Amino acid sequence: MTEQRRLLPQRLETDAESVERDLFKLVLTIIELVRQLMEKQALRRVDQGDLTDEQVEGLGTGLMHLEQAMDELKARYDLTTADLNIDLGPLGTLLSD
Amino acid sequence: MSSSVQQQPLGRPDTQQAGGQISLVDLLDRLLGTGVVLAGDVVISLAGVDLVQVRLHALISTVREEMTQR
Amino acid sequence: MAEQATGHGGRLVGRGRYLYAVSRGLPSDALADVPGLGDGRLEVLEHQGLSAVVSDVDLEEYGEEGLRRNLERLDWLEEVARRHDEVVHAVAEHGPVAPLRLATICLDDVGVRRRVEEWHDALEQVLDRVDGRSEWSVKAFAARAEPQPAASAPAGEGEGGAAYLRRKKAETLTRAEGEEQALKVAEEVHARLSAVSVASRRLPPQDPRLTGHVGTMTLNGAYLVDTARADEFADAVRAAQADHPEAGIDAAGPWPPYSFAMLEQP
Repeated sequence: MTEQRRLLPQRLETDAESVERDLFKLVLTIIELVRQLMEKQALRRVDQGDLTDEQVEGLGTGLMHLEQAMDELKARYDLTTADLNIDLGPLGTLLSD
Repeated sequence: MSSSVQQQPLGRPDTQQAGGQISLVDLLDRLLGTGVVLAGDVVISLAGVDLVQVRLHALISTVREEMTQR
Repeated sequence: MAEQATGHGGRLVGRGRYLYAVSRGLPSDALADVPGLGDGRLEVLEHQGLSAVVSDVDLEEYGEEGLRRNLERLDWLEEVARRHDEVVHAVAEHGPVAPLRLATICLDDVGVRRRVEEWHDALEQVLDRVDGRSEWSVKAFAARAEPQPAASAPAGEGEGGAAYLRRKKAETLTRAEGEEQALKVAEEVHARLSAVSVASRRLPPQDPRLTGHVGTMTLNGAYLVDTARADEFADAVRAAQADHPEAGIDAAGPWPPYSFAMLEQP
């Protein structure tokens, strides 16, 4: 397989006025990635069929609240999922096992 | 002055045209012979000073490992 | 890739020869008006029936150490790639061309001739293969299905955890089916275009952050097409676009045969 050539890391140029929003966007991106991973993993565990009904219910409720919390945060900072660049080419492949 | 993450596209796919101009991504893919990728890292700079580098790939790998260990 | 010459203290000094492309029977004045890198003068070195197009470059910039620095810089890459491409295009106007990889450097003309000799048979084969042919690039995409936004949550107000998970599962399946369908379309398009081509390759999909495209790239095809069959190829692309309007099929060309002429360096 050919070696992937890497370019310089992306640069988040920020300044005193926009630093809060820019950092927040970055943090939201990371949280959203983790949230998606958790959801995928939960679905896998449910499929495996070794969870009790209470566990399934608990997982689902927790994830539902997490999704709602994320929606609120995104709305507060006027960001869409697309803004967070969640579906990154190579990373997208990593997440969709 | 608003800031921006420097993720400007390098070139749009060309529409059909005679003697078409090759987009930079297509050209680099062919001339370099390897895939052109962006590192999954972000360098945060404030007032033009690079301060912090966040390694997203490392974070995701760690989380994935933890997931599969359960 | 570069043959090394260390000067004082191990740093590379002096000039090297940048090798852009190899052709056949290229008139020595054919590239008189075409600038090389750093506006250097292009020269044509004849060897064993092949024409190597070269120009002088500074080893501090193009030697091993310099390349290690510069290959990570997008602005440097862009400038060099564009100029390299211009030279390849100019050569292509006079006959078949085998472009070389970016930054193929030899210390001097002796080195260039040695390289041409090493690759002689392979180069002849490549030139035969691309003679009278051009490369076309055709890409296809899977439209990104937007997951329903929180607007659907009101229905979820009374939704329990298990129901939420079932809904998410259903969304995953729908998305997977959509992706599978998109991949099938890509395969079909590739097969149809390959049938009108001398040769074809599927290249890795490109990063949307680099290209700015929306949705997943399902096909990044490269096709070597006879100049005489270019219209037939264009018709095949249009037919594919008509059959699969959702796939955003995008064609570009004709280009020099980059994807079919590169020799893999040992």
